[in-house]
This record gives sequence, structure tokens and C-alpha cells, in this order.
Amino acid sequence: MRNQLRSRPNDGVARTLARVLDLVRSQESVTRLQIERTTELGRAIVADRIAALAALGLVDENMLGNATGGRAPRLVRFNRNAASILVATLDQTALGVAMADLAGNLLMEHHEAIDLSASAEVSTNRLMALFEWLLEKRRGGQSVWGLGISLPGPVQTASDDIFLTETPPMATSWGPFPLVETLMAHFEAPVWLQGSVETMTMGELKSSDSERAKNMLFVKIGKRIGAGMVIDGNLYRGSQGAAGLIGQSPMEIYGRMAPLDQVAGSDAIAREGQKSAQNGSSPALEEILDRNGQVTAIDVGQAAQSGDPVSMEIMARSGRMIGRAVAGLANLLNPSTIVLSGSVPQTDDILLAAVREAVYGESHPLVTRDLRISSSRLSSSAGLVGAAMVVVEGIFSPNILRSWVALGSPLDLPEFQRALAIAREAISRRAGVREAEPAPPAVPR
Amino acid sequence: MSITGLGPHGERAAPPSRVSLGPEDVAAACARDFSVAVVLHTVDSDWSRQQLAGISSTLGACGTIISEVVDCGFDTDSQIQALERLKEGPVDAIISIPVANASVADAHATVSRAGKCLVLNDNVPTGLLPERDYKSLISADNFGLGLAGAELLSAHVDNGREIGLLSFEEDFYVINEREISFGRWMKSHRPDLAIRTQRFRSIDEAGSATRKLLSDYPGLAGLFVVWDTPAMQAVELLRAEGRNIPMTTVDLGREAAIELARGEIVVGIAAQQPYKQGVAVAQAVILSLLDHPVPSWVALPGIPVTPEIVVESYQRVWSSTAPPEILEIRSA
Repeated sequence: MRNQLRSRPNDGVARTLARVLDLVRSQESVTRLQIERTTELGRAIVADRIAALAALGLVDENMLGNATGGRAPRLVRFNRNAASILVATLDQTALGVAMADLAGNLLMEHHEAIDLSASAEVSTNRLMALFEWLLEKRRGGQSVWGLGISLPGPVQTASDDIFLTETPPMATSWGPFPLVETLMAHFEAPVWLQGSVETMTMGELKSSDSERAKNMLFVKIGKRIGAGMVIDGNLYRGSQGAAGLIGQSPMEIYGRMAPLDQVAGSDAIAREGQKSAQNGSSPALEEILDRNGQVTAIDVGQAAQSGDPVSMEIMARSGRMIGRAVAGLANLLNPSTIVLSGSVPQTDDILLAAVREAVYGESHPLVTRDLRISSSRLSSSAGLVGAAMVVVEGIFSPNILRSWVALGSPLDLPEFQRALAIAREAISRRAGVREAEPAPPAVPR
Repeated sequence: MSITGLGPHGERAAPPSRVSLGPEDVAAACARDFSVAVVLHTVDSDWSRQQLAGISSTLGACGTIISEVVDCGFDTDSQIQALERLKEGPVDAIISIPVANASVADAHATVSRAGKCLVLNDNVPTGLLPERDYKSLISADNFGLGLAGAELLSAHVDNGREIGLLSFEEDFYVINEREISFGRWMKSHRPDLAIRTQRFRSIDEAGSATRKLLSDYPGLAGLFVVWDTPAMQAVELLRAEGRNIPMTTVDLGREAAIELARGEIVVGIAAQQPYKQGVAVAQAVILSLLDHPVPSWVALPGIPVTPEIVVESYQRVWSSTAPPEILEIRSA
């Protein structure tokens, strides 16, 4: 079939194949007649394109629809299991991985604690080991068509290339590290990177069954504080993909100005908690410090949830400051819903209550009249769902789809093969440089 | 032990104390005459019996009746049929251990849509969300259990050997966690060991899966089995073949505890606390029925048990004296 398609006048065939597949993908199922009507293609062409897509494994016609007089029509359905997608979300303190189908539905997921401040190599090796485990456990035999990685900070996406060939600058503590090249060379599939606020916002949007999500403000609270903005059902990214960095907003605390990240993020909460443990003002935190040697923001959140008054005040203060910044955005955008997520709100309702109080207190009454503020139900899964959507969009956007659909797989695109060769070259060059590096001096014992 | 794992959606664990009941909650529940159905993967294990004991005693104290206990026998169709029937019935809440992932997801999702309170035990099918589809998940810290299983085994395996991981084919959250964390611990603490994985599709196949593992890797120097019931089949097979391979597993079931006391093959067990877990499950049900918020994931820590501490650990886990066989072996 592939050879057959390649021998045809490609542009026209590819365009109509892409059109039919795009339509089938967008519906749960569709009949041939509906395809003919919607695409305005003739019956013979539709039949030919469906046969071609079925031969490529991208659609099937195994189900019957409801009969309306005559024979029941066959339903054309997208084969979302034709290939799989691997996705991950890397946070400062946690790593999540999942396998998804081509519709972006998660099939299997796992989350574990990780210290992202450890070396990039350690974290990437762990990520790859978990991806390998997913592939081994699922044993589906499908090829991986793409990897989507959600990263803690915004990711610059300046390249016009269809596929990333090198790792763009990332806001992690890793420094330069060929993440894209390493993953692409190992899994032989294209890689997409996106900031976690964006992926989590997309994940919330996809998973929400409410109309409210179409005008949503998503606020992620961790070491950094960022907002994702959904306007009329579309994610607003800004010109550099850096929209919503509310953690940079200046806040006044103890008579001086500092960025919101520094005064209300998880580091600030942990710092305040540690101080309260050391000066003995919170026996609950003091006990945690004695036991663990440190107090984290999650410890403070859990202590607050258990009724420790000092921890409750720390969380409430952080929530009020975040709420003030969020109120500014709410007044600007008039969202239907505000969703809080991240490691801190996951453990604590007091922060959510304080954010609510500040937003309701500092927003115009019309803005808050029907506003709902809640914490995310998806937690870290939001980043995984969003990362899968990034890959799905990357593979199936009309221009890309048109270029590979006649080949049957985006992996067969010459552009991807070129990107893969560049990635392999970069990895082997790096390995060569590392081999040539002198061994570090022995550590005296 | 502290909680080392994360929840099915990456949640941080809440301790069981977050679902404890006050006297006013008990009184409010007693006044409402709730009824609850329990859907278990199997009733044929010590773990299940202890869970059920914890659930029954707690619900009983709240004037809540258990109208039915369904034994799914690890069968997805049985579970789907049971949930479809129960969601139309008169029960107020359903406690369920999903026996699989995608294949039982819809059946569980429809329980909440039918207006019933659903509290999950040990497993969440991918795609189900707290609040929308279920109230809370209660489980052991299975990631921690896998770490403990690895650490307990490591001490008995020489450098550079192959070790076996006998796991369950089904995509099951708690089993996945144990499998992943076992591998993680070994990779970071014993990179000299090579892990060879074999999976079984049903408990009946655990013995043949062990045989295959032994035949594919005759030099196997250690074995981790993801829970005690299949582990006992593996023990039986090893004994029949005259192989003395050190093994660790999860769950301090009666037979496993006796094997551990002997210390010949089973050298360590990462024990769950099924009775306490059952109590937490029941408490989460009562709080949910009273419309109180409950954490999306409540986790209980595991307990690493070696032959030396098997008696006191048995008492701790089962809230009863150790069986005479164990006392006899340990006093010999």
C-alpha cells in the first residue's frame, strides 16, 4: 500500500487523505456518507481514501451504525491504538510518566519523587528507565510516534522546523544538557518539550467536562508560580510562550518588594516553616525537623491541614499573596473558573481558602459573580494529559499530517529521519568528548 | 516507615489520621442507617479477610450495614456485572478494588454517575478522577513495599548475580508501584545485579511462571514476588525442585509468615497493614456519606519483617497472637 500511495500524484492524494483522517479523528465515529457530505469528495474518492487509511492501520470500519431504513452503515473510526505516545512531567520534586494513545488518552501512568536539582543525567536516566518499563509492561507492539515532556519552566520554541533537532534553552537548574537528542536517539521518535504550566492547563482543559474550562485561569504553585490562561477554549501562550509568569510580579512583604515566587512559592513556605521549627514556635514543625532534618513546603501544608496554627498562618499568608496576583489576572480576563494546582495546594486547603478570600475581595463584583475557584482534581496527571496533547497536535496538525499520512507514519518522514541523524550525531559527539576528558582527580579519603 | 510513593495522580499521601472519625461523625452515621457493598478482587486471602474485618468493625460501630460482599475472583466481567447491579440497588456506597485498569474503568465511573458514593481500595483505573469519579483511594505505600522487598533481598544475594522478579501481568496500580520501586532500589543500591522479570496472568500460573524463570535463568540467586499468595506457589515449586533461592515478598499472610519464620527460602516480607487499611477505607466511606471532604489518596506505611521479628510483626499486623507453628519454629 505504501508503494502504491507513493507512486500516486502525492499532493492531491495526501491532502484528501489528511482531510478524511482529520474528520474521522475529530468524531467518535462517522459514516462514509457523512464523510462525503462534509468533505465534498466523491464516493469513489472517499472509498479509496478510507481503504488506504485502513491499509495503513489508521482507521477501521469494524462497527455498524444505526440503520435508517436500509442496511446499517459501517462506521469509520480512528484507530487510536495504531501507535503510542510516551509522556512525562518533570517537576522540582516529582517525576510522572505515562503511555497515551493517539487521541491523547492516558493508558497507564506512574509518579514518583525525584530531586530535579540532581544532575540532568541522573534524572534523564530515570525517566528513560520508566519509559522502558512502560513499553515492556504494555507489550502492545505498537511503535512510539512521539514523546512529550512537560518541564518546570517555560521552554523557548523559536525553531521553524517540524521536529526539534536540539534541546532549546530550558528554565531548569540543569544547565546545557541534550535532553531532546538523548530521548530521540534512544526511542527513535520525535520529542516535544513544553512548560508545565502550559501542559497542565491543556490537561485540565481536555479533561474537563464543563463549559467553564473554556475561560479558565490555571495557577500552578510550586517553587515557581505561573498561570495558564484559556480564552474561548484556546490556550494563550504569548509571543515567546512565556505568558502567565505571575511569579515575577512584585509583592510587598515586610516593607520591601520581592517577586511573588520568592515570597509565596514553596521555597518561601519551607523557609518560614524551617524558621518556625528552629525557634520553637511550632512544636509540630519542630518534630518534623528533628525527624527529617529539614522542613519542606509539603510538611508545612500537611501540618496546617492537621491544625498546626503556625503552619496554617504560613499557608494563609502565601495564599493571600498569590490571591492578590491572581485577582489582577481575574479582573483582566474574567474567567469562569480558577484552578489551583501544584505540590503545595495538593496538600492543603487553607491556601485555597486564602486565595479565594483575596480574589473575591480584590476583584470586581461582576468578575466574581459566577466565578468558581477550586483545586485541580487531576493533580500531576494534568501535565501528562497536556504533554500528550502537545504530541497529538504536533503529529496531527494539518500541515504535518498532510506530509506523512501517505507514508503511514510520521517516523517515515524525511524531516524526522534528518532530525534523528542530527540527534544521533550530537549524542555520539558528546560521548566522544566525554571519553576524551581527563578523569577527575581521586578524592582523598 | 514514612510514605515514599506518590498517588495514582502524583498526589502526596495523607495519613489515615486525616479520615479519623469523631464521636459526632459516628452519631451522625448511626442516625442515617447507611448500607454499603464491598467488591473485592478475591476473598480468598488473609489480606482480604483482614481488610474485611477492619471494614466491618468500623462500619458496624457507625450503625452501617454491609449488605453484600462480592468476590470477583480477579475476573473483570464479574466485577463489571456486580457494579452494574449494585449501582441500581439500594446501597449508599460501594467500596471496590478494581481488578484491572481500562477494562473496568467505565463500570467504576458509572457508579458515581448513578449517585453512589465510591471509595476505591488499592487501585485506580487510569482516567478516573477523585471527586468526579470516586471519593478517595486508600492503599498501602506500595512504592515503599517494593523498596523494602528489594532491601530485604539484597542482603542475601552475592555480587554480580541474576535475580528474578515475579510479577502480575495485569495493569494494577499497586503491583506496578512495587515492581517499579523494586527495580529502582536495585538499580541505585545494587547495580551489580541483573533483574529478570517474568509475569503471570493468574495466580494459578505463578508456579509455572517460576518454573520458566528458573529454566530461562538457571543461575538465579534471588527472587522477589509481588505478593504472598503467588509467592507461596513459588516456594512450593522451589522446594519441589530442590532449589534454595532467597525470596522476599509483600503481605504477611499466615503461610508466608510461617515460611518466613523458617527462614529457608522466604528471607523477608514487606508487610501491609490490611486491618488498619480496612478501618481507613470504612472511615473514608462514612465521612464521604456525611459530605465531609476526604483526601484523594490516603496511604499506610509498610513494615519490613525479617525472621527475627516475625512473631511481634505478626501480632502488630494481625492484632492477634502468632500461629503456634511460628512460635514453635522461632523457639526451636
